Amino acid sequence: MSAVDYGREALDFIEGLGAFDRVPEAMDALETAFGRFGFETIIVTGLPNPDQRFAQMVLAKRWPAGWFSLYTKNNYDRADPVVRLCRLSVNPFEWSEAPYDAEREPDAAEVMNRATDFRMSRGFIVPIHGLTGYEAAVSLGGVHLDLNARSKPALHLMAMYGFDHIRRLLAPSPHPSARLTPREREVIAWASQGKSAWEIGEILHITQRTAEEHLATAARKLGAVNRTHAVALAIRHKIINP
Amino acid sequence: MGDFMIHAISALNRHLYEDVIEQHFRLRHDIFVEERHWETLRKPDLREIDSYDNEDTVYLLALEGRRVIGGHRLYPTTKPSMMSEVFPHLAAVRGCPSNPLVWEWSRYFVVRERRDGALNLQLMAAVQEFCLHQGIAQVSAIMETWWLPRFHEAGFVVTPLGLPGLVENAWTMAATIDIHQATLNALHDRIGMKNVVHQDGPRLDCIARANLCGGTAAQRKSA
Repeated sequence: MSAVDYGREALDFIEGLGAFDRVPEAMDALETAFGRFGFETIIVTGLPNPDQRFAQMVLAKRWPAGWFSLYTKNNYDRADPVVRLCRLSVNPFEWSEAPYDAEREPDAAEVMNRATDFRMSRGFIVPIHGLTGYEAAVSLGGVHLDLNARSKPALHLMAMYGFDHIRRLLAPSPHPSARLTPREREVIAWASQGKSAWEIGEILHITQRTAEEHLATAARKLGAVNRTHAVALAIRHKIINP
Repeated sequence: MGDFMIHAISALNRHLYEDVIEQHFRLRHDIFVEERHWETLRKPDLREIDSYDNEDTVYLLALEGRRVIGGHRLYPTTKPSMMSEVFPHLAAVRGCPSNPLVWEWSRYFVVRERRDGALNLQLMAAVQEFCLHQGIAQVSAIMETWWLPRFHEAGFVVTPLGLPGLVENAWTMAATIDIHQATLNALHDRIGMKNVVHQDGPRLDCIARANLCGGTAAQRKSA
């Protein structure tokens, strides 16, 4: 394929991603798209801090079950030279470009060798660096890969958009209104009219303490720092009318 | 922090900001040439100024008092832009925009000691807030590809115009970014500010200005 063909393929894939509103369907689409480049395995994952476990960081994966259990059981992420380089690099790279010393780092050599047992002898990884130190990656593996100077920029973009789409599908609902109970909406509405918790209690025939609890829960659900902020957010999200 | 704002500076109010604009040209040289090694931008007077710094440029500069701590600029795409003149190959699939409602967003920078995340979010909020207020629908940008997930994290809707290519050893891409009220609301919530852009002096009308540029460009072509 020419560079322009790779470009069209990548941009069409990115445009089409919005149609998948569930993670399994989105992963099917990623599997098909990356499969056209010869990739057989995909993992979309955050990178663990020293006090986090790899398994809890994974957003979505198409990995052989045997490899995932081996990888997590042996904490391979601590030794994996690809993970190590991923943290340091803003550029995507082939797994084979991740350096390690086979003599002095037998664990690193083991990860790379065992991967070949699961049809992951070659691979390409796209590092993700967030605004406040969040580290993640999309890593693709296989045997017979269409991996060259023209396909890599296409894979680079496709992986970043794939990551963002999966991340957003897994994020909590952006519409907090759906998560407020009718009672919570009611107390917020009265608070927006300047009523105190005691007054709201009188109006709704509940105790002041219950009114306060409803306000606190609503504020927490809205992500507000205090009652005033909760009212502002409720108006902004059109949960109540100003 | 009390007097922190992001100031919109154009030909109309530049006389109020000459010291700030000068400071920012020198900062751009420090950051883009000395630190990031974009050698083609090197200037003997250590002020990084290019052909997209002129009477149609709008600067959004983060000021603490009179000290510049970060910023970026906007330029009408109805004039020849950096994307159309220098990097058209990065927009090979979808093409370069040329539209009064689309402005080119460039020279995004933050001084070294403020790269902690908070100022980045304020600068991202500033471009959305300023453009929304002006009626600008999209900004186009030549950006380093590793920034794409950071824009995604900020809620930006980013549409690539072609595949990334290497520019001065960094993977770089061309894209448009939608200006959305929802994106701005989410950013305002995150930074805890109701507005972040401050504008002094006469009222600026970016779209009218861009239309005027387009008119003169069309006249030049037909002449």
